[in-house]
Amino acid sequence: MKIHVDRKLCDNHGQCTITAPSVFRIDEAGILQYEENVDDSLRADIEDSMDVCPVQAIFIVDDK
Amino acid sequence: MSSTTEAPYFNISDPTFAMHSEEVRSARERSWYARTNYGIAVLRYAQVSQLLKDQRLSQGSGQWPAHNGVHSGLFYDWWTTCLLVLEGEDHHRIRRLVNPAFAPRHIEPLIPRFHELAEELVDAYAASGRCEFVADFAEPYATRVLCILLGIPESEWPTIARLASTIGLALGVTINEELPTIEDALGELFRYAEDLIVDRQQNPKDDFITRLVEANKDGESLSDAELRNALVLMIFGGMDTTRNQLGLGIQSFLHNPAQWDLLAQRPELGKAATEEVMRTNPTTTWVTREAVTTFEYEGLTIDKGTTVHLFTQSSGTDPLAFPDPEMDIEGEHAPHYGFGGGIHHCLGHFVARADMTVAYPILARRMRDMKLGGVDEWLPDSGNTGPVRLPLTFTPAP
Repeated sequence: MKIHVDRKLCDNHGQCTITAPSVFRIDEAGILQYEENVDDSLRADIEDSMDVCPVQAIFIVDDK
Repeated sequence: MSSTTEAPYFNISDPTFAMHSEEVRSARERSWYARTNYGIAVLRYAQVSQLLKDQRLSQGSGQWPAHNGVHSGLFYDWWTTCLLVLEGEDHHRIRRLVNPAFAPRHIEPLIPRFHELAEELVDAYAASGRCEFVADFAEPYATRVLCILLGIPESEWPTIARLASTIGLALGVTINEELPTIEDALGELFRYAEDLIVDRQQNPKDDFITRLVEANKDGESLSDAELRNALVLMIFGGMDTTRNQLGLGIQSFLHNPAQWDLLAQRPELGKAATEEVMRTNPTTTWVTREAVTTFEYEGLTIDKGTTVHLFTQSSGTDPLAFPDPEMDIEGEHAPHYGFGGGIHHCLGHFVARADMTVAYPILARRMRDMKLGGVDEWLPDSGNTGPVRLPLTFTPAP
């Protein structure tokens, strides 16, 4: 599946780095970096990340 | 800590220290930070936003009991192992397990009951055209919302309110002398939480505590003691803050009657009203952090161990980020930090946001021409603030 983080909403809190550390990370400058293409086995972690995002900025965009 | 510039200084443990003051505004104009009797206070939006999430700072509340002469006992053990102050993998594991129970999709089904509750509470006093807002609305509403969330009978709210308020004394400077009372209340709340956990283990329901009892993911699980500690933290952290924030909102609208009228006419602005109240008049007036290492930031050396207070109201009304910082429930604004931020971002913010979004428009519709109706009484600004007593008069409306 493909995911998207809305950069206009994202405030770099990093809650998603707790729920899905293999997909999301905060870089040295404090900015969120993430993998756009995510293996379907991580679906539950991605859904938890979407749930937990304080500004609800994470979306699954290409859900096959 | 060293710096070549002359920074402003605040004595923030002085009970008369005021966040909404010329002292803070002029300091913010001169400098992004001030020195305080604890360490430094960060005043501007851009720096609060960065430092809140900076990994070189840890959540700084863990040392609170020790700083006040409390080094052991029931309160100390709970406080120093609860999610609020944990860091690293211990924090992440517990947070991963409890987070899903707070998801918006679990909160939404509770919202109709929040509506009924708000209307019921106003029904009880509306005809008189008077209320004492804290006792008549804010405290029962905040506590009963917690009962609804936790799936415990709303009729038990006075017990929950009493225990949460007593444990709240631990955040005051009198913690040491109040310790026996605080620990009695904490022990009682522990037993209450343990009974709830045992009940849901034996009789699972489609509810919040059952979701926590069943939280088990990738081989990680929450022990009964961790779950109990988390439940007690939720009750402790959820009641006082919501009660105080509701009262602060009323204070904001007393100063902005046109906004109150607008909200009465347009209840869909309830969410914006909640955000604007928290941006301009937050209960958590600062978020505490502690430097885990010595580092340079914007020309300042912040030494390891320095307490860094991130001022929320000051940052939320910083003219550099908000050219027109006055409360405006129709405007577009950058996010505020009234719920903290980074990995320690408030766990219960979806619930708090939902219940205040419901409450403010109902209050605005039913309490017209709202005015202060007597002598009000307030907690100091430092730490978590709010009204102790807030008498109001109004013209009742259906």
